[in-house]
Amino acid sequence: MVNPLSLFLRPKVTEDFAFRDEELEALGAEIKKTIPKVFGKSLAIRELDSGSDNSTEIEISNLGTPYYDVERFGVSFVASPRHADVLLVTGAVTLNMAEAVKKTYDAMPSPKFVVAVGDDACDGGIYKGSYAVLGGVDKILPVDMKIPGNPPSPKEILKGLLLLMKQASK
Amino acid sequence: MDMKKNKDTMDLLSEISGMAGEEPELLSARTDEAYVRLSEAGFERAALALAEKKFSLIGLFCAEAFEKESGFTLFYAFKKAGRAHVLVLVREAGRAAGREGKAAHGAVSSVAEIFPSASWFEREVRDGFGLEFSGAFDTRRLFLHECYPEGFHPLQKTFKNGPISLRKPEAGKNPEEYRFRETKGEGVYQVAVGPVHAGIIEPGHFRFNVIGEPIFSLEIRLFYKHRGIEKLAEGKSPLECVPLAEAVSGDESAANAVGFCTAVERASGIAVPERAECLRAVLLELERVYSLLGDLAGMAVDVGFSLVASPFFILREEVFRQNEKLTGSRFLRGIMVPGGLKKDISGPALEELPPFLAKFSRTFESAFERAMSSSSLIDRFATTGVVKKELVAPLNLTGPLAKASGCPADTRLDRPYGAYRRLSPEPSVKKGGDVLSRFEVKADEIRASVKLIKRLLEEMPSGPVFAENGPAAGEEARSDVRPGYSGPSGYSIALVESPRGQNLHWVYLKNGRIDRYKVRTASFCNWQAIEHAVLGNIVPDFPVINKSLNMSYAGTDL
Repeated sequence: MVNPLSLFLRPKVTEDFAFRDEELEALGAEIKKTIPKVFGKSLAIRELDSGSDNSTEIEISNLGTPYYDVERFGVSFVASPRHADVLLVTGAVTLNMAEAVKKTYDAMPSPKFVVAVGDDACDGGIYKGSYAVLGGVDKILPVDMKIPGNPPSPKEILKGLLLLMKQASK
Repeated sequence: MDMKKNKDTMDLLSEISGMAGEEPELLSARTDEAYVRLSEAGFERAALALAEKKFSLIGLFCAEAFEKESGFTLFYAFKKAGRAHVLVLVREAGRAAGREGKAAHGAVSSVAEIFPSASWFEREVRDGFGLEFSGAFDTRRLFLHECYPEGFHPLQKTFKNGPISLRKPEAGKNPEEYRFRETKGEGVYQVAVGPVHAGIIEPGHFRFNVIGEPIFSLEIRLFYKHRGIEKLAEGKSPLECVPLAEAVSGDESAANAVGFCTAVERASGIAVPERAECLRAVLLELERVYSLLGDLAGMAVDVGFSLVASPFFILREEVFRQNEKLTGSRFLRGIMVPGGLKKDISGPALEELPPFLAKFSRTFESAFERAMSSSSLIDRFATTGVVKKELVAPLNLTGPLAKASGCPADTRLDRPYGAYRRLSPEPSVKKGGDVLSRFEVKADEIRASVKLIKRLLEEMPSGPVFAENGPAAGEEARSDVRPGYSGPSGYSIALVESPRGQNLHWVYLKNGRIDRYKVRTASFCNWQAIEHAVLGNIVPDFPVINKSLNMSYAGTDL
């Protein structure tokens, strides 16, 4: 048994994985600096899966894990579209999800931004020509930014968000 | 297909003839795969006898214009845990019902009351091909939701893939409204959740019936992510089709790519070199490790214990980075091809693995120990979300889910493929069937995978990584995607053990092109378990139960 007190006496990260990533730190610092130009003090994101293969979800949720921990840059993921500034949509929009995608977008307060994440969300990707999808997210929502990739890495997603804010602050 | 009537096949045939009370017609056979046709009466007798002998219906799929037949052919794939053989009963279903939906002509009898796993299979076939199953207790549409028009069946050959005109909802009436099970009684109310959930997860709908906190029934509705993968595969060359197999479920990319490639290799008689098989196994095990780490972390998150979740998340990210160094893709994509690997993996990336794994194991064990010494975590996990062992064979539950319910079956051990013929993982099993047992089994699987990777690396053979007679060798790699490309014909089933359990891939090649690709992931069957696992549990425990089972929505919806 571990003595419960030892949890408080020891540093919380107990292992020696060195995971300081200078590129990420620089990117995060810039995001933190740019957010107030567009969104006040923080950026609230709602993620919406419109028919992805789930790899993009994994990379987006990775942003919240200790390696990336983007909350320290002022970026948070919210549970309701009503609390969101940005909608991250993953996957070609399937016919079965089209209505839910529309309703989620409509529930967001304005001003709002839509970001398509991953090749399939950008233009339909490998599902182009399938009866079951509408195509890219821009077939159903106004898309402000596209982040391609199969799937894009967490850092690529952050770079895309930074680009979106720079574009919006102009 | 060559007819190798070995002893196992002969034994199986005599077993079937005993069950059916007639002499079966053997259509084709391999050492571990036999296609058999029976009369309708013989089929029904055999189905009953197979269920009695604890065979599972692991797949039921349809193909149009199969071999010399003109209509629809149904394939019922049966397998018994612990045995390698897959027995496929082939049944001719004639033509589909007309657009009016009249079932009288061409209807075949349902087996859903004998094999509960058949219910979704039959609904899937009905949506795809328009076949009716007489006596089926559930005839609602499955992957075609309300927006799809009546009489639309995308997998019929007469339908050419492309945009379709959607059904216009008529004012005031909705004849095809999806009916959920209804419950009545004092204090009963419904909780509807989804398709869009609060977290960063995939869409699906859950309809709970509760009395106070306890759940007394749950009905799931999925297929929101139906993307039409099987139709997209038609007419493609095997090489073009690999990215589709990888897109079945992102966190099973390697398993599904290997499953698809293995089916193609079996159907067209390609022998994969040993080095490619070993490297494939290394990648498959890395995928298992990162996938199951995500499960362990997620389970800890769902009981609010981020101190344990964090090290598991850190380790998962470390594995993703190793994946990228090895293959150029964090999700191990773009490396598998029918015949072997696209390129050899060698040098520093491979040499880095053993020291990485040593460090990995130290952190992993300390995180696991911390989890297991927390009484509040054990309190939430133990006795929560029990899946009974009796459900495993009838529903064809596989993977860590089945192992945590006392059934140690594993495709790598039962029906070894590739490098698993020489090296096998240590089996793991627990009896509790609850969230805690699944947590422990998944940790054991990670340990077994790490050991297996080390052994694979120690015994890594040298040599080529691409089959001499592979479909994409050298110059042919380019001609493969040309319109005039032609190659062998044949069909075969491949079973692979993905992180979630047994995935089935069936490929039917006509002149080197995919005529039909059927993929059935472990999730498709395992989803059925959740309606049982939640019974009597409280709604706030649903997230952790769901995470402990962790089925793929994408891999089910296709």
